[in-house]
Amino acid sequence: MTSRRDFLKVTGAAGAGLVLGLHLDAKPRPGESAKAAFHPNAFLAIRPDGTAQITVPKVEMGQGVRTALPLVLAEELDLDWSRIEVVTAQPGPDFKAMNTGGSTSVSTTWDTLRRAGATAREMLKGAAAAQWKVPVGQCRTEKGFVLGPDGKKLGYGALAEAAAKLPVPKDAPLKKPADYRLLGKRTPRFDGPAIVTGKAVFGLDVRRPGQRFAAVLRCPVPGGQPRTWDDTKAKAVRGVTAVLKVPTGLAVIADSTWAAFKGRDALTAATTWDEGTAKEFSSAALEAKARAALTGPADDARREGDPAKALAAAAKVLEAEYSFPYQAHVTVEPMNATAQVGADGAELWVGSQSANRALDRAATAVGLKAEQLKVNVPLIGGGFGRRLGTDFSTEAAQVAKAAGGGPVQVVWDREDDIRHDLHHPATLHRLRAGIDGAGALSAWTHRIAGPAVLRSWTGGQKAPSQAATEANGAYDIPYAIPAIAVDFAEVEAPTPLGWWRGIQIVPNVFARECFLDEVAHALGKDPLRFRLDLLGDRGIVKFGRDTADIRRLKKVLEVAAEKAGWGRKLPAGHGLGLACHAYDGRTYAAEVAEVSVVKGRLKLHKVTCAVDCGLAVNPAGLEAQVEGGIAFGLSALFSQITWEKGRTVQTGYHDFPVLRLADMPLIETHIVSSAETPSGMGEPPVPVAIPAVLNAVFAATGKRIRKVPIEDGLI
Amino acid sequence: MPAYQLTVNGRARTVDADADTPLLWVLRDTLGLTGTKFGCGQGVCGACTIHLDGQAVRSCQTSLKEAAGHAIVTVEGLSKDGSHSVQKAWITEDVAQCGYCQPGMIMTAAALLKHKAHLSDHDIDEAFADHICRCGTYPRIRKAVKRAAGGVK
Repeated sequence: MTSRRDFLKVTGAAGAGLVLGLHLDAKPRPGESAKAAFHPNAFLAIRPDGTAQITVPKVEMGQGVRTALPLVLAEELDLDWSRIEVVTAQPGPDFKAMNTGGSTSVSTTWDTLRRAGATAREMLKGAAAAQWKVPVGQCRTEKGFVLGPDGKKLGYGALAEAAAKLPVPKDAPLKKPADYRLLGKRTPRFDGPAIVTGKAVFGLDVRRPGQRFAAVLRCPVPGGQPRTWDDTKAKAVRGVTAVLKVPTGLAVIADSTWAAFKGRDALTAATTWDEGTAKEFSSAALEAKARAALTGPADDARREGDPAKALAAAAKVLEAEYSFPYQAHVTVEPMNATAQVGADGAELWVGSQSANRALDRAATAVGLKAEQLKVNVPLIGGGFGRRLGTDFSTEAAQVAKAAGGGPVQVVWDREDDIRHDLHHPATLHRLRAGIDGAGALSAWTHRIAGPAVLRSWTGGQKAPSQAATEANGAYDIPYAIPAIAVDFAEVEAPTPLGWWRGIQIVPNVFARECFLDEVAHALGKDPLRFRLDLLGDRGIVKFGRDTADIRRLKKVLEVAAEKAGWGRKLPAGHGLGLACHAYDGRTYAAEVAEVSVVKGRLKLHKVTCAVDCGLAVNPAGLEAQVEGGIAFGLSALFSQITWEKGRTVQTGYHDFPVLRLADMPLIETHIVSSAETPSGMGEPPVPVAIPAVLNAVFAATGKRIRKVPIEDGLI
Repeated sequence: MPAYQLTVNGRARTVDADADTPLLWVLRDTLGLTGTKFGCGQGVCGACTIHLDGQAVRSCQTSLKEAAGHAIVTVEGLSKDGSHSVQKAWITEDVAQCGYCQPGMIMTAAALLKHKAHLSDHDIDEAFADHICRCGTYPRIRKAVKRAAGGVK
């Protein structure tokens, strides 16, 4: 840890009020001494007029981070929430850790934001006490004011300048949760008013003076390159000004998006391709390789006891194969970025979940130093992991450089977005369960075969944590089973991959929780009772790199089951199913789904969800994440990307369906209150939804579905 | 090349562009009204929904020529200050997550409420059948539409 002294500094110039730089990432980087130069990576400014500006070091993509993080700071500082301005940070030396993913924004900033707020509060109190010549202990704060004895009252704005001259106190006291007036209350989204009036600026809404628009004609096979092209017809389109070869294909530059699209379409028929190494890739071929890998060598993610021996000694062995397909992100805002690149400087406007990477890679791609590139992050029209990639931001910088001069906005259309997504890959799962002579679950093995997503993050290298990452959700199976083996057999795939909301935990928990349900039914046991018994009377349990508190998992399971009326009599054709998971050992979620299947038609009636993510910073935002996370998971029950001849078969929302309003079940969320440090909620509800529904389908019909997507006629 | 006369949010505009240019791009690129969003360009996702003579239509499927001479209202013109009953309901129910699809949703809701005083769940299902929200704000959209209709106390 860096010293407390380094965590917070007054950075503002005279006349600016109180400006504090906060160092959120308290660990020194490799090679950096603990006394390294102070790089604040969040800012708080209290202006002389009393308004507070909070710079948020994470990006907003609908998960509510521009509301939640300011709330934490505002609570400790007793800010007036109506007088806050929120600014998204810019990546660079001050903000080195803008990566936004893994449901970690609140948990990684919680301590520092609170300490920062408390420190600023003490400084403002100190300034007031000095002015009033009273002991600081006689001062308190309330909604943007310091209150003193005899009705004395001064606004933060009036005190900011004097506070900035005071020494930064160490160990400012933190509030007790009982005194919170913002945290734990329902606060609407900070950006709501801008969104409903159309004023909110997303990446695609960036408009710069002299801006041009571009569409890129890319080979339908990822990695392919144009061999020959004739740009005569494209250039004849009104508004098209240039057709340029760029690293990702052919860029059509125009004075409007529509002209760029029309020019690109005119170019399509006049281009031939070298389709590259992926041109024979097909889903069928990948599946055959994965099936072979189900019985070949693999990397262990977890091995306990002697599973082979336990299976050999078992009175009964159950076995099943589960399958989950490639998935796309299909954010409603398609990929896009706006760039302006000059000889000695550049600027980028991009909705990036990894702004620091976007900066470094775009700078390298256009031959500039990182400090010569400025990156602005507007609001993001859906992330879901897609925008952790830097392909679209780097491409925009390359197009802008090739086009020369002013800013260029590169716009992907829906087909570009789905074909050139960084897809989440398909996996096959082989599970076996051994039942001993006493009818107890004595062995559990789970083999996962598929491409490794982690390589997309490590420059193609196989990281030591690969098996654990690809088996996340499987290796941390929370049930007490004497012998467990979970491993991952990598199958190579030639197209780009990426993270997806809920990552590999989605397919892995689907297979795990459905197969566990199979075991329960095979033993004639109630799926809830079976899970509770297997969770047992344990406390904190360690699985590999994670630990989980089994008591918290049991609690959410019990709450979800009770609230859903587990065991009640249901209408004909209805069924209840449940599933649970401790997400990265930090957030606990259990869901009970009620479905019906009538004449082969599946209807999702209701999902009852209980979650424990520690202290609920903003219950309104948390419930929104539960609702949205469940929608995302349920949508995956009906969608898939398949490959033929190196191309995605799917080209848009018409053949990659997304759940619609009429399909959406009722969602009932129960927040299990807890005083623990808050953890994330962006992803944890996603993986549990799929097995809860498929287990309910089994309860309703007796039909076990082991393959996603649910195919017509399968029910 | 003829210039087209449009009435956008009550204001007369002259646009010189190809007749087949989708209204979406005229609004966004020519007139700078970026509140209307591009999601699919195929009339499938509803992000580009606007009002044409009071009806909710997909601006990506409406050509400049078709729009000329008609009254066009975008999310920017729904109210001066976000005070339309649908916008207010959207804030009260805290609907938006990423917010990108919401202008289209709001325009559909506003047109629906203008034409129907009493809404059933089925009416809402039908009206939003061609809208996509990848964030999954559907439960709150339903609540907000009912609230704007006066159905939620």
